Amino acid sequence: MSDLGETLRDSAVINLAAAVTMVVDDSGFALDLTAQALLGFGIRTRYACRSAAEAIEILQDNPVDLLVVDCEMPDMDGYELVRWLRRSGLDPNTFVPVIMTAPHLRRSRVTEARDCGASFVITKPFSATTLLERIVWVARDSRPFLEVGDYFGPDRRFREMKPPGEERRASVIRKAQFEAARNETGARETQA
Amino acid sequence: MTVITHARRKSNLAKMIDSAGGVSVGVALAAARANIEKKRAEAMEIVEAQVTALEAVPVPATPGEAPSRLEQAYHTATGVIDAAGPFELRDICQAAAGLCDLIDAAPAGGKFDWRIVTVHAQSLRLLLTLPPEAIEARVRVLDSLRQVVNRKTAQTG
Repeated sequence: MSDLGETLRDSAVINLAAAVTMVVDDSGFALDLTAQALLGFGIRTRYACRSAAEAIEILQDNPVDLLVVDCEMPDMDGYELVRWLRRSGLDPNTFVPVIMTAPHLRRSRVTEARDCGASFVITKPFSATTLLERIVWVARDSRPFLEVGDYFGPDRRFREMKPPGEERRASVIRKAQFEAARNETGARETQA
Repeated sequence: MTVITHARRKSNLAKMIDSAGGVSVGVALAAARANIEKKRAEAMEIVEAQVTALEAVPVPATPGEAPSRLEQAYHTATGVIDAAGPFELRDICQAAAGLCDLIDAAPAGGKFDWRIVTVHAQSLRLLLTLPPEAIEARVRVLDSLRQVVNRKTAQTG
């Protein structure tokens, strides 16, 4: 469950018009779709890149405020790009919020998706609402950045602001189920 | 293991999101949906082309050919999801994602039942052909595919 319900009510106002945004996707059509959705939110895509190499060239000299990257790309993929960025030492780009998108997440890449340093990974199909929700979430994300062994990126533990969307962490789901069952038992005993 | 913590500085995105001006969430979402909707015809052409490409992926003639053919089928299926994703074409995305799951779960170097690709390509073609109101027929197609996915993933673990 997210803490974004209030932020994303229809009448809430957001201002992202000045966000310098980069979208990286090897599919021209997918890139265009993302850019069109962002445009609806008031965000003009400053840099539309069809490859990680093109993105790196720009990131080395130009600060960006938001990065949206496709996970699977030929040659250097999105995971490698984000890993490079986090380790690049390019301030402020090293710390930029990164949303990764994927039409399908291979089982073998789940660890890579977790460990590359992205702020969020979303799998398609996703709606405009989901994309905006994630953008608002990464904008408000206050997690510190950690360097642990090979990892450099936002703290992967959510302490304050829960991630948006349905809860998928097995331990949290089990705990909630256990507590619900315990409450139900308690209620039955009270009635008896 | 050493942990170095970099205290989070407020990002530019965080500073600007609540600044004066901007648009309401309702207006932003409506504008985004309208922008995406303009791309529907193009998206449907791409989906159609990807399904045709999937139907045309040749059955591997030798075991050595299988990995590249599977990769080709996987990329074509992700192309379907890429294009159909924002248009509420859930059944088409679900069918394509099922194929991606099965190819992803295939053991490296192991035998892959190519009929899985054929049946997914045929089902995607059927879903594209069926009128939107043929809900029951669409559900039946997806149910059949789900059974294939469940059976095959049970076999491969």
